[in-house]
Amino acid sequence: MVAIERRDPSASSPPLLDHRVEHHQDRPYILVVTRNGHLSEHVMDYALNVAYRLGYGIVTVHVDTLPFYKDSGRRCRLFAAAMEESTALFRGKAKTKKVAIEHLREEGKVGVVVSRLCHAKKRIEFVIIDKGIRLGEVAKHSPVPVFPVITTNQGQRKRTLIHPPNNKGVTAMSTTSRKRHVKNCFLFGTLTTGLYAAVFANQDVVMTYFAKGGLFAVLPVATVFAVSFFHGNFTSAFWSALGIEASRKTAAPRVEQDRPLTEPVVAPRPDTRPRLQLNA
Amino acid sequence: MHGPVSEVIQFIDLNVYTITFLFLVGFIGGLVSGFIGSGGAFVLTPGMMSLGVPGTVAVASNMCHKFPKALVGAIKRYKYGQVDIKLGLIMGVFAEIGVQAGIMVQKYILDRWGQAGSNLYVSFIFVLVLVTVGSFVMRDAITMKRAGGTSESVPSLAKRLQRIELWPMLTLKTANLRISLWFLVPVAVATGMLAATIAVGGFIGVPGLMYIIGATSIVASATELVIAFVMGLGGTLIWAYYGMVDIRLVMIILAGSLFGVQLGAIGTTYVKEYMIKYVMATIMLIVAVSRFFAIPKYLNELHLVLLSDGAVKLMTQLSFAIMCFALLVGASIILSSLFKARRLERIAANG
Repeated sequence: MVAIERRDPSASSPPLLDHRVEHHQDRPYILVVTRNGHLSEHVMDYALNVAYRLGYGIVTVHVDTLPFYKDSGRRCRLFAAAMEESTALFRGKAKTKKVAIEHLREEGKVGVVVSRLCHAKKRIEFVIIDKGIRLGEVAKHSPVPVFPVITTNQGQRKRTLIHPPNNKGVTAMSTTSRKRHVKNCFLFGTLTTGLYAAVFANQDVVMTYFAKGGLFAVLPVATVFAVSFFHGNFTSAFWSALGIEASRKTAAPRVEQDRPLTEPVVAPRPDTRPRLQLNA
Repeated sequence: MHGPVSEVIQFIDLNVYTITFLFLVGFIGGLVSGFIGSGGAFVLTPGMMSLGVPGTVAVASNMCHKFPKALVGAIKRYKYGQVDIKLGLIMGVFAEIGVQAGIMVQKYILDRWGQAGSNLYVSFIFVLVLVTVGSFVMRDAITMKRAGGTSESVPSLAKRLQRIELWPMLTLKTANLRISLWFLVPVAVATGMLAATIAVGGFIGVPGLMYIIGATSIVASATELVIAFVMGLGGTLIWAYYGMVDIRLVMIILAGSLFGVQLGAIGTTYVKEYMIKYVMATIMLIVAVSRFFAIPKYLNELHLVLLSDGAVKLMTQLSFAIMCFALLVGASIILSSLFKARRLERIAANG
């Protein structure tokens, strides 16, 4: 219910507003709501385009829906850091379009926050919601129309409506994935230790049979396959748990794509324009 | 069914020194393998022999540790989209033929000139291949570095070969090239022959894939892991059939090398492409120096030169020390460039 962080770029940085909207107290606003640390980029772009065309301002609100999550404040810190990144990006984008923008951080239920903000002094004309928020949840409380922004993934054929994943920044270092690595590390570490203990505790028997040759050749080969599975997973989880993972920039296929194998086929251009869905 | 020599082989007793040594060499060897696709294995055979492991058991155990390591490395690098499985498997099968051919050549030389002659032949091939290929790769790496090292152009030989339409043509998606099978076969066979001779086929395999086939150094080094897996599995089955594999040694080496191979694979995603060539060439050239010091011993055995026992012993030790040094240099270049790149990436992300 409290605005913990209130950012007005005009206070700290040079004014972003152009002559059309400068110091216009009754300027209408678009409310952009997200419950994630990072606001989806396509939502940013859509909101900016509309605001630019209509001469509106934008109020972005990041709603922390789990403020009392029991992890000694780690989630809160991550959320704040992610919001920092997101607002910086949004501010940069808004600057180029000269759209007035404000950032708020709220806690609690999304619907309640939207309702409160709409009833506050700002003239909010409509609400745009980010991924992860149910339309009904907001629409129930909102006095103004609510729009989710949905993009098609690729072209006309694939109609699955998804939001492109955000793989960078603070959310990428999510607590859950780190936890999973630590868990895997313990699990496969135990299994590996068990396998090694079994072999080394019974050295004599093992060496008698494994070195017999002939069909017994299967034994050492099967054992090393087991080692490569258990110990391989353990070592992989071990480095990941330590935070040593592949570069985010280059983990994707690093293959030269500039040499076409065959003649290029002219494919229909993918339609990736944002779609608007009305809750009427 | 029993192997013909299983009754006479001696397996060593393990102690803390042995275990630590094997673990560390395994780790460093794994790190290098994960990064450049091969290497590291050449230190293990003489290393194990210096611990008192009989030669055949050392070779068999080394081979047996190589293929799971290559498997884990290949899977890791496949996740990064660097492995061309089709290319690797085809090359692996022909490399296996190369291994058999290499063994036949070795046998012929052994029958004709005895053990010392065979050793001399191995050392001669070592120095010849490593110096020629190593210096070529090093020159290329330096040229790339000067050019900024951002992108790799396809070598002119590979370009010309790719243009020749000779049935059967193979389309390799990850490597992003189309080439006739007839050009893959000689590279694969040469890789296998080198693997049978000096235990590291990758010193021909990776440069062959880069300069003759036209794959990038990232794809070449990752695909080499698949080739090493196929070759290693085939070789291990043969050695295990004769009961030569000491599973304890294999497991200790693997304990270290799988840590290394993961880290090496992670390293490839941070560094620029020329770094792989640079590390590979550095190791090859230093190892060539090491083998150069091993040659007088065999010449002495063949009575071609006369050296005192002390001098021969010193040179043998020096040769082994330089070999270890080659691995250490390679490993430290990989680790330092990995952590440097990570730091820079973190700074860029924060700033």
